[in-house]
Amino acid sequence: MNETIYPDRARIDALEKVLGRTRFAADIPLPRITHAMTVPSRIVRGRLAAIDIGAARAVDGVLAVLTWRDFTNAQSAGYLMGGGFGFQSHQPMLSDRLVHRGEPIALVVAETLEIAIEAAALVDARYEEEPFAALLEDERAEILAPQAGHAMGDAQAMLASAAFRVDAEYLSPAQYQNPMEMIATVAEWRDGTLTIHEGTQNSSAVKFGVAAALGLDSARVRVKSAYLGGGFGQKNSLQGQTVLAARAAILLGRPVKLVMPRAQLYHTASFRPASRHRIQLGADADGRIVAASYEADMQNSRADTFRASFSEITARLYSIPNYSSTARLVRTDVQSPGYMRAPFEHPAAFAFESAVDELAYATGRDPLAFRLNNDAETDPVTGDPFSSRFLAECLRTGADRFGWSERNPAPGSMRADDGTMIGWGVAVGAYKAAMAPAIARLRVRADGTTLLSVSGHEMGQGIRTAIFAALTEGLEIDPARIEIVIGDPDAAPQHLTAGSWGTASSVPVVRRAVETMQARFDALRDGRSVHGSIHQMLALWRRPYIEVETRLQAPGQPDAVFDRLQRGLPAAGGPEYKPFVSFSYIAHFVEVRVEPTTRRIRVLRVVSIVDCGRVVSPRTAESQVRGGVVWGIGAALRETAEIDPRFGGVLNNDLAEYVLPVNADIGAIEVGFIDQPDPMLNEAGVKGLGEVAMVGVAAAIGNAIFHATGRRLRQLPMRIEHLI
Amino acid sequence: MSEQDPSPRDRSNDLAISRRDALRISAAATGASLAGFGKTMAAAQPMPVALPGMSLTVHFQVNGNHIETLVDPRASLLDVLREQLALTGAKKGCDHGQCGACTVHVDGRRVASCLTLAAKVEGRQVLTIEGLSLEDGSLHPMQQAFIDHDALQCGYCTPGQIMAAVACVQEGHASSDAEIREYMSGNICRCGAYVGIVAAIRDAAVTMGGD
Repeated sequence: MNETIYPDRARIDALEKVLGRTRFAADIPLPRITHAMTVPSRIVRGRLAAIDIGAARAVDGVLAVLTWRDFTNAQSAGYLMGGGFGFQSHQPMLSDRLVHRGEPIALVVAETLEIAIEAAALVDARYEEEPFAALLEDERAEILAPQAGHAMGDAQAMLASAAFRVDAEYLSPAQYQNPMEMIATVAEWRDGTLTIHEGTQNSSAVKFGVAAALGLDSARVRVKSAYLGGGFGQKNSLQGQTVLAARAAILLGRPVKLVMPRAQLYHTASFRPASRHRIQLGADADGRIVAASYEADMQNSRADTFRASFSEITARLYSIPNYSSTARLVRTDVQSPGYMRAPFEHPAAFAFESAVDELAYATGRDPLAFRLNNDAETDPVTGDPFSSRFLAECLRTGADRFGWSERNPAPGSMRADDGTMIGWGVAVGAYKAAMAPAIARLRVRADGTTLLSVSGHEMGQGIRTAIFAALTEGLEIDPARIEIVIGDPDAAPQHLTAGSWGTASSVPVVRRAVETMQARFDALRDGRSVHGSIHQMLALWRRPYIEVETRLQAPGQPDAVFDRLQRGLPAAGGPEYKPFVSFSYIAHFVEVRVEPTTRRIRVLRVVSIVDCGRVVSPRTAESQVRGGVVWGIGAALRETAEIDPRFGGVLNNDLAEYVLPVNADIGAIEVGFIDQPDPMLNEAGVKGLGEVAMVGVAAAIGNAIFHATGRRLRQLPMRIEHLI
Repeated sequence: MSEQDPSPRDRSNDLAISRRDALRISAAATGASLAGFGKTMAAAQPMPVALPGMSLTVHFQVNGNHIETLVDPRASLLDVLREQLALTGAKKGCDHGQCGACTVHVDGRRVASCLTLAAKVEGRQVLTIEGLSLEDGSLHPMQQAFIDHDALQCGYCTPGQIMAAVACVQEGHASSDAEIREYMSGNICRCGAYVGIVAAIRDAAVTMGGD
């Protein structure tokens, strides 16, 4: 069944998107809707000593001003990575205790947005401030004991005796996901049922989390997340704002819309934590990497433990027999950091693939040949085979398409006619090929329609298009009358869609549903020859519909994971599946141009070749890789949160000063797929794509800058001032 | 991108339109639906005539429909379109004129509707993504090109990208990839669909005749 080749087709929801008809959460029309605005805390840490809502309450059109006193019966829904549902364990407005800058201290609800904004500005508060730590290097930051990491062979001894060595530190700043859709909650309380419209990657966590926070029966909480305007990890769990809006809707008996302002989102939602990476590498005289040591520090909040796993990919990029890694968490006074596209893999690949490049130069070898010479055939960590691994093919194909053989290896040797410095760099990336338990309910009706409800959330990656492809490749049904329901826990249990397991979970379970449907249809047919679609035959046989339900989990997972799925808890498996290990791989080739006077860095072109198993939706997959490369360019050259250590907030908390890549920053991006199925991982042969696309881009750019200028930049983002 | 003043000629054209048949839109009609050119507009939900703060009556055209509505003088065009006229195609991505998701046309020129006071469109013609399709209901060439080149992912910035792209071509700023990139840089796409967006505009510019 792995031999299916999927045709190029348009994104299934592109038509309604270009018409502006796609309804995101804040677009849902509801009668008598009210508008909410939060009042952010002006301190980092301390106590809300007094709050005066009188002036706000007096504004004509204000319906309510809620403070922590209106939430005395509420509680935290817990931390996603600690058995709960929230992006952090701290739920704002449960008490007068304040733990991070910008957390809401009041919620104003009014007839119009203008009034809500006016009144929110009139809320007056007095604080008792406490000392805090804002930065990794702050003396009040608490450095925890190192987490145990990998320990293969004897890295330190082999480093000491290696013929060539690299020992360097790389820095990655706090960064923000900034999906274009600001986090928006529309809460509606009617007839004892709470309905939440919110673009979330985890509708079940919202459902069970709101229920837990407000003491509601989860059966009376509905969550609708049909479309997200981007997620990138920031929308992976229950938000603090959702609880606030839900409570207001219940108190008022009217729908409440809360669109969190962009500026506040830098302090009310998750982000990529700042991190430091010390990499030591050693190679022998033949250019074989003999040892690696990876020591990392990563920012955390005070309360929650967001564990680092930088070495999950770097221990496997190459065949390195002696490898050790440790990571220390550093507690600072921030909201809890979390998952942002390639959360560990992007900074890890920047550090490690920069260091590998340095080592290649130290040995006097071509960076491409050096990488190919150190490819791994079996997993160095477990000793198990890889279910599939075409990284060397990615490198060779990419080198051909990029024209790598034309490269002059000497740094600073390539110039354009106008003197512009040209640099060509390469780097590789990997990302675990994970799967999550999924359930599909498929109903084909005699009236010509088909309804498929399945686990998954559409944040733009194209999961609906991939599901559609899997559904229509196998069944004789009317493709124009298919309804695909995702992001709705009441239609089918919903797992968090993240970690690049979305398509690898939804597509195989839909294929299984298709096969089951076909078998049911064949049984009904009972040997009769049929002429027509399933719909027509059902009509002929006077059966209104056939419905099947199928389920699928990651290889080796017990059926108990479906219990976690039903309760809205994370249950993904991978990358270690006894007895094999699964990753997606990518190779990036980058050409940068550095202007000789201003040192402005431009990425002229990128060639990225991916091994993500079978490609189910070629057009959306290509777009996803291009998007990942754009993310890599942004992370490499633009994006950083500027933190003021005196006040503990993000200074550049808007889209003018937190600089995202714009159209003029992006040149040519050429994408290629190996497109070889991974049948060991699942029946569809699908691995993940969304995150691996970004992994290694920043290193490839840094390596190209070194080739152009002879300067090795070890801090992200890499800017003009680092080259002058 | 910043708010632009229309030319006097455009304004006089607009003011010449009789308001006698203008539809009165109740102030907070959340159920109203404004379709494309020439379609009749209906306020589905009976609502209070005015909510607190709505003290100013403005008259303008949206997608060919005459509008007379009470607004809060502080209200942005974006919020009036979205919250009062149920035209939710234009999106709020920053509310600061930094991202372009709210791009609409006022008297034929692209503006950030989040930075444009609703009061300032008195007597003007507003075109939103909902009114871009041709009168026969078929897609505008730019919409078709965005589909063909998969110039979108999540779709949130897409209405603004398309409105900006149409203006980019009409302004004569689509003569090369470099020029398209420059003149489309007021519209951020976090999904990173820029390569597709440039290809779509290049394509549609030909179909549109580069006027």
